[in-house]
Amino acid sequence: MKLPRFFGKKRGHRRTGLAVWGSVGEGLFYAALVAAGLLFGGLLLSGAMGEAPAGGAGAALGRGQAWWLWLLTFLIPGALLAFGGSGLVRVIRAWGKSDERRAAAVEIPSLLDTMGHAADEAPGHPGVPTCDDLVNSPGTILRYRLPIESPENWTLLGFGLFALLWNAIVLVLAVGAGLDLMSGRTDWLLLALLVPFVAVGIGGFVLFGRAFFQATAVGPTQIEISDHPLLPGGGYDVLLGQGGVGNFRSLELHLELEELATFRQGTDIRTERSVVWRELVKEWKNVQLAPGARFETHVTVVIPPDAMHSFASDHNAVKWRLVVRGRPERRPAFLRVFPLVVFPAPAAAVSRARRVAAWQEVS
Amino acid sequence: MKVSAANGPPAPPSPKVTAQFDRVGRDYEPLQHLSIRYQVDGIDDAVVTAIERSVLWYTEGKGEEDLGIHLFERIDDPQGLVAALPEASFAVRLPTSPLSYEGVIVKVRWCVRVRLFFAGGRDFVSEHVFDVGRIPPARRPREPLGAVERG
Repeated sequence: MKLPRFFGKKRGHRRTGLAVWGSVGEGLFYAALVAAGLLFGGLLLSGAMGEAPAGGAGAALGRGQAWWLWLLTFLIPGALLAFGGSGLVRVIRAWGKSDERRAAAVEIPSLLDTMGHAADEAPGHPGVPTCDDLVNSPGTILRYRLPIESPENWTLLGFGLFALLWNAIVLVLAVGAGLDLMSGRTDWLLLALLVPFVAVGIGGFVLFGRAFFQATAVGPTQIEISDHPLLPGGGYDVLLGQGGVGNFRSLELHLELEELATFRQGTDIRTERSVVWRELVKEWKNVQLAPGARFETHVTVVIPPDAMHSFASDHNAVKWRLVVRGRPERRPAFLRVFPLVVFPAPAAAVSRARRVAAWQEVS
Repeated sequence: MKVSAANGPPAPPSPKVTAQFDRVGRDYEPLQHLSIRYQVDGIDDAVVTAIERSVLWYTEGKGEEDLGIHLFERIDDPQGLVAALPEASFAVRLPTSPLSYEGVIVKVRWCVRVRLFFAGGRDFVSEHVFDVGRIPPARRPREPLGAVERG
């Protein structure tokens, strides 16, 4: 075994240097976390159990009167031990094993790895996500009602959470400043700090209110489908329902195939999305929505016979979806996404289609 | 075929693994049987402690690599090694999915890997790619999109 070189090289699919040294480094890192956890935990424990001034935290811990102080004290050492311990066990289990052998075995997930989260697999279809969450809501006319996956909802949730948390902080500061004023003291620094905080808080509420208006003013969009999961080459009845009031310049229904790739960039974890196939199923112009009567229409959606099936692994995915794009006259355009799951075509159907295609070529 | 030193610079002797699939073009359909015959040359006097044979899919592209094992065999007993080297064959029935896919930022590839472990800690891996299914390559759509009216 050669000693490790300080600089390794990447040559195509491989790197120079022995992988075992990488495992050694990883193991040392996790061992250091465990050692730090034990050290801090030991120091805190000895400090708490040792002589402590009467009434101090140590004395409280020693008497066992404040369990939450114990919890708080050992939070950081406990976290170090948990992260380090799980990492160390993972390194030891993977020691000297190839990628294939590790993948074949059931691995212990790392507490530090926040990226790996593959969807549940459909039984008998490795790499294909299950559609259990898409078939648990019956439709009113067709068989299933598809759940909505609207990006607007996440924006609304984000704005709402920000406004709530920020204004909670503002409220705490304002109560503190008010109590000071009532007791005859004036903390000018706190008051000066409150002004920009209140401005940002009001801005947060305005943004949330605007997003809430945009999300709710248009009216709900509903899609029902005649069957699920979908198969390549299959045609499916789809019911599109659009509620609300007012006129739409256009309403479009698209069938899309989107790829998602999650990767690490520095210390960030990013997910890139790319729509690689898109078909306009139908477009409706000048749709007029009357109060109490929603716009309803039936269309047929056909999955191409040579389409890729839905795919999901820990960091990569290929997703099918129906997308509704609306352009109301007096409101901003909106986008609503309804996920689909496409299974691979059964082998018998594939061979039959190939025979038909070959026969057509010959004739 | 790709032969590479997975860990470390190539150490003499450098093995060469050739593989022969039972289908011309290496095109398979889901649930079909795949049979492969491999031959390892260039081991010379090096001591092989184990050999791993696997059939797997992995992702390529912008995201982190994911890997799914369909078949994994590790042979490290002397009798097994005699049978598995310098040439041998094995077969497997392919699963229904995932199909080989040439996407824009996500690609799914199937391959057979033969990995040799040598005394001293080095290992060599040889990868032989094949296709499952016939999905045409994906391309990013151009805007504006052509409308296909239905319904």
